[in-house]
Amino acid sequence: MPNILILGAGRVGTSVAEQLVRENYSVTIVDDNPHNLQPLADKLDLRTVQGHAANPLTLAGAGAADADLLLAVTPSDELNMVACKIAQTLFNIPTRLGRIRDQDLLARPELFNDDGFAIDHIITPAQIVTDLLARLVECPEALQVLDFAQGRAKMVAVRVEAGAHMDGKDLATLAQYLDKIDCRVVSIYRKNKRISPDGGTTLSVGDEVFFLAASKDIRAVIGQLRANERAIKRITICGGGNVGYRLAMALENDYQVKIIEINRERAQWLAEHLPNALILRGEATDENLLDNEQIDRCDLFLAITSDDEDNIMSSLLAKQMGARKVVAIINRSRYVDLLQGGKIDVAISPAQATIGALLAHVRQGDIVAVHSLRRGEAEAIELIAHGDKNNSRVIGRRVEEIKLPQGANLAALIRGDKVIMAHHDTVIENEDHVIVFIDNKQHIRAIEQLFAVKIGFF
Amino acid sequence: MSLITKILPTSNVFLDLDVGSKKRVFEHVGIVFENSHGIARSVIFDSLFAREKLGSTGLGQGVAIPHGRIKGLKEATGAFVRLKEPIPFDAPDSKPVSLIFVLLVPANATDLHLQILSELAQLFSDKQLREELNTLPEPHLVWERIANWLPYGADFA
Repeated sequence: MPNILILGAGRVGTSVAEQLVRENYSVTIVDDNPHNLQPLADKLDLRTVQGHAANPLTLAGAGAADADLLLAVTPSDELNMVACKIAQTLFNIPTRLGRIRDQDLLARPELFNDDGFAIDHIITPAQIVTDLLARLVECPEALQVLDFAQGRAKMVAVRVEAGAHMDGKDLATLAQYLDKIDCRVVSIYRKNKRISPDGGTTLSVGDEVFFLAASKDIRAVIGQLRANERAIKRITICGGGNVGYRLAMALENDYQVKIIEINRERAQWLAEHLPNALILRGEATDENLLDNEQIDRCDLFLAITSDDEDNIMSSLLAKQMGARKVVAIINRSRYVDLLQGGKIDVAISPAQATIGALLAHVRQGDIVAVHSLRRGEAEAIELIAHGDKNNSRVIGRRVEEIKLPQGANLAALIRGDKVIMAHHDTVIENEDHVIVFIDNKQHIRAIEQLFAVKIGFF
Repeated sequence: MSLITKILPTSNVFLDLDVGSKKRVFEHVGIVFENSHGIARSVIFDSLFAREKLGSTGLGQGVAIPHGRIKGLKEATGAFVRLKEPIPFDAPDSKPVSLIFVLLVPANATDLHLQILSELAQLFSDKQLREELNTLPEPHLVWERIANWLPYGADFA
């Protein structure tokens, strides 16, 4: 298995290391703080190296010369940039990923090409989380919305609502209701247990349904699973940090956006930079403030400060006071498990959201996107099939002929501009983007091997 | 003469290379072909790595045949590397690899290259030959052994 070198044992570094060790990669992680490394060394089968991420000797000692991929996710942009450059110049590490947060650096992509700091793929967690929140705003009844093939298709998770057309109906009926619209239900979770869907599966209230459809058809499908689809107008964002600002900028022209920000200078800055949003200075957990701002008329309440406890408390409070839907960013993944699906409608773990962007580059195969679902239990992957009938196990074959592992579902293909739902007789062609749903991460290896080209591929 | 001897110069047999990863093997052959063919080592390295990302070229039984299309290369060429210590190669039988034949072909490669590949696969499927390649002490002996190898059933041809 490939050798992966991770720099920085923070939240992202740690979660990606855990995931990769579980997938049997050979992982080395570097951090200058032994307190960050010790817990990892205690519980995971990986190598830890204490030292400076941009020191050639540290990197050599961490096996940089044998590394297939470098992941620079220290808290410092500058450190990540220099580490990637060193990895390229001194150690010839073929693939380098770096986390960059500073907007002003991101605005100058020429800095990161091979002659510059040599970062092949830039990861910006704030942007990933912003995009994720923006998609939730567009699709307010969804628990999760994932983009495939540059937005041509989407996978959406929704909970079946009392009074919905589909309550008590089977999936064959959904196809009838939708008539010419093609959609694919890939998985259903009932009381946290997966049900493998077929035409005879009957939906009931509370079921969490994952379906895939062309982006233009998403609304129509949701309409069958929810009772009353009321569009979102009023949005309250708690926390005017990096994500809050980016999100408000994307939304302020189409929605009534309020931001609650505690820091006076930051609030001032936001007011100057967001002409169409209303900036309130105060605490997100301040009941009076929420009351004065008519939180009961708020359609969507987003608690996205940097403090988990504040986010949890303020979103619970807002929900109790009548906010229609509340979303909280929660960094500690244990908390996410505890809270999602209860009073908090959607709990988002930034590390979990970011990990997919990293995994896409680590995994074998030509992978476009990896999305973690259900707190990392399941996964949706978009990959490109290469080869011909002789040197591929999937190309030139009908979907029903492809030996997918149990619990994996070949949901759709994107061929050029066309989104094609996978039916039993659909034939895979070279260069098709294939979207696969996997209910159990243990099967990822089997999927990789299925789509891997055979030795005869040049 | 077999297709393999045509593409394997005697100087391209490297025995007991002391490297611990796929990456280092590719770096080594990158330098070899840069010197012999004037193609940038990074082009060779990237091509081999990119191919490997789509699926391992490990054959099983400790053998791998990494290959790639190289822009600017006029004819197929190869190098044989025996490693001092076997390395992980993600082969179908999960066994580490110590015998590596690197095959480079022109960008517009045709059927001929599939023939070379299939001849290589046949060659390495010979258990006795694998054992000899693992133990022969000198590069020229290895080269001769490969050159004199006959496919099954070809003895009387």
